[in-house]
Amino acid sequence: MTTNREELITEFKEHLIKYLNLLDLTPSDIKNDEVLFGGELGLDSIDSVELIVLLDREYGIRIKNPTEGRQILVDVNTITDYIIANRTK
Amino acid sequence: MYIKDLYAISPQKTHDLSFEQGDWQVLNQYAYTAIEPSYQDLIPNAQLRRMGKAVRMGIGVSLPLLARNPKPDGIIFGTANGGLEDCIKFLNQIVEYNEGTLTPTNFVQSTPNALAGQVALLSENQGYNMTHVNGSLAFESALLDAALYFDEHSPTEKSILLGAVEEISDYNYNIDYLGNRFKEELVPNNDLLNSRTNGSYCGEGSTQFILSNNPENSLARFSALKQSSTLSEEEITDFVQSFLAEQNLSPAGIDCLLLGKNGDVSTDLWYDKVQNSFPGTPVAFFKKAVGEYRTVSAFASYLAVRLLNRQAGYLIENGATENPRTILIYNHFDAVRHSLILIQK
Repeated sequence: MTTNREELITEFKEHLIKYLNLLDLTPSDIKNDEVLFGGELGLDSIDSVELIVLLDREYGIRIKNPTEGRQILVDVNTITDYIIANRTK
Repeated sequence: MYIKDLYAISPQKTHDLSFEQGDWQVLNQYAYTAIEPSYQDLIPNAQLRRMGKAVRMGIGVSLPLLARNPKPDGIIFGTANGGLEDCIKFLNQIVEYNEGTLTPTNFVQSTPNALAGQVALLSENQGYNMTHVNGSLAFESALLDAALYFDEHSPTEKSILLGAVEEISDYNYNIDYLGNRFKEELVPNNDLLNSRTNGSYCGEGSTQFILSNNPENSLARFSALKQSSTLSEEEITDFVQSFLAEQNLSPAGIDCLLLGKNGDVSTDLWYDKVQNSFPGTPVAFFKKAVGEYRTVSAFASYLAVRLLNRQAGYLIENGATENPRTILIYNHFDAVRHSLILIQK
């Protein structure tokens, strides 16, 4: 299990590319503070469900409250912080 | 049913029409994978990245056709397996994650009617929408459905987007390989029909047509269709002859035969029997071009329309035909599912 924040960020971006089929991107193409939804990445509501599945499968995190989800799934930084604080695996 | 337009993505260069002009691809591989165009200008990136190959190829054929022929009254597809790769991924996830949270993308791509639905959504078409999944007669079932649709709405002018799609996935390739449907040795497609061994090579692609009940500006027409799943080898010639009689035709009235001969020594003799009952008739073997798959008769229909319009004539063997008007397609899968399609100018 990765505990170093920078390593975790890279690992999460790799999962992000795989789960969302962003196959023309590499982890370095995604900025840590880049807005995931409504920004250049062009993610949509289906991607948000894919992200929730990603967090559940890879980190044992279940997001059940939509309001909470909107605050977590902002950018790579917010998600990484949430993973560090809440991961169960 | 009159054919107004057609387009295909296949293991030959049909996407840019160079196949029709004589650009023949020599294939020396176990899987005849489709040559796909760039979809970047056609499909929004957010949707493209979620599409499996079957849906991607299908949309890649539908959208150019719909750009030239907007708003058909219905969308009818035939596919044996649809997006099987995504379907099996989805089913495996159910097991792997103990029926827990599942990803939506694989789910929405995994049903055979995902293509027809996506085409309708992308083209904002709220008309009749149907996908037939009758195995190796799926395209024939879709064709029959289109005929029934036109009958039902006659004499009102209607149009239909009719098509078929099949993809090569690891899963269907391995299962069919274990069923002895594919060759163990490599033979180039030019020599496929002389291989004298069991099995053939797997193909894939999407072929689609714009159909109408208005003959104006049509390229050709689907005149008749017959299918059977109960024939014995002794009955095949009578099956073909009775079909011709029903259409008031004799073997001499067929300008060109399109046969689904695929190099499988165990089942090609059915085609030989049919060909022998058409002495001297020019013939083309379409599976040399695209391999064997369950909706390949859609590609055969595509080739027939091209031949009727004086394209791809280099594929005709056993004598040339100057100005073909009537083409008969005979195809079978595993010598169990048989179909005859008559296409006329």
